Amino acid sequence: MVEARRTLLVAGSPEGIRRAAGDLDAFAAVNRLPAAAVWPFQVVLDEMLSNIVHHGYEEQGGGSPIEVQLELGEGVLQLTIVDDAAPFDPLGAAAPDTTRPAEQRPVGGLGIFLVRKLMDDVEYERRDGRNRLVCRKRLPA
Amino acid sequence: MEIREDRKDGVLVVAPVGRIDSNTSGELERRLLQHLAGGETRLIIDLQGVEYISSAGLRVLLLVTNRVRPLGGRLVLCAMGQSVREVFELAGFTTIFAIVGSRDLALARLAGPA
Repeated sequence: MVEARRTLLVAGSPEGIRRAAGDLDAFAAVNRLPAAAVWPFQVVLDEMLSNIVHHGYEEQGGGSPIEVQLELGEGVLQLTIVDDAAPFDPLGAAAPDTTRPAEQRPVGGLGIFLVRKLMDDVEYERRDGRNRLVCRKRLPA
Repeated sequence: MEIREDRKDGVLVVAPVGRIDSNTSGELERRLLQHLAGGETRLIIDLQGVEYISSAGLRVLLLVTNRVRPLGGRLVLCAMGQSVREVFELAGFTTIFAIVGSRDLALARLAGPA
């Protein structure tokens, strides 16, 4: 492990999301993490940042940069996302029905569902007027 | 995102390269819908070069498969890597699509008279 922690300030825009993905890749490269370890975090980052930018921030006409923290230690990668959009608890969202045929599939909720399934641990709290999500996953041996 | 295209035996093969996420899925959607509007009815999406897919990508594929069928068309997905496969399984999408292991298998599936 070379870089234990990195903090990103992500602009609330599609370009910001694109850069964050690049930063996560760079953090992973520096720490020599294999692709198999990183892609779940790329998906989670995309899901959460998209949600914040396209729902949270759009509704309120913008927001401060989203704070993303990457922390690596003891075989666990931890991703923390802090934003000041309206309160949104991803853990409170109902799971989508994944058994319905294609024409009846609702599109909402799928991203959050993936976040919960891809990570070992997901914790949410609303603190100091901000949403704070912490996601953890043990890295493959 | 690079989107490679190939045509074989009257079948169009579309192969996105890289990640299909909130940033790149729009482009993939535009391209696929353009092909449908142009009358393509037999489509393969080759996922060999896809590092991972997020829900934005899944939504595009769902949209396309729901458009293709009423048009009497067929869509087959092929060559998913582990990460794409896992996301499909978690989302329950493996029951919605025809998914095969390779481009050759996909072509065999769609070959012949429409």
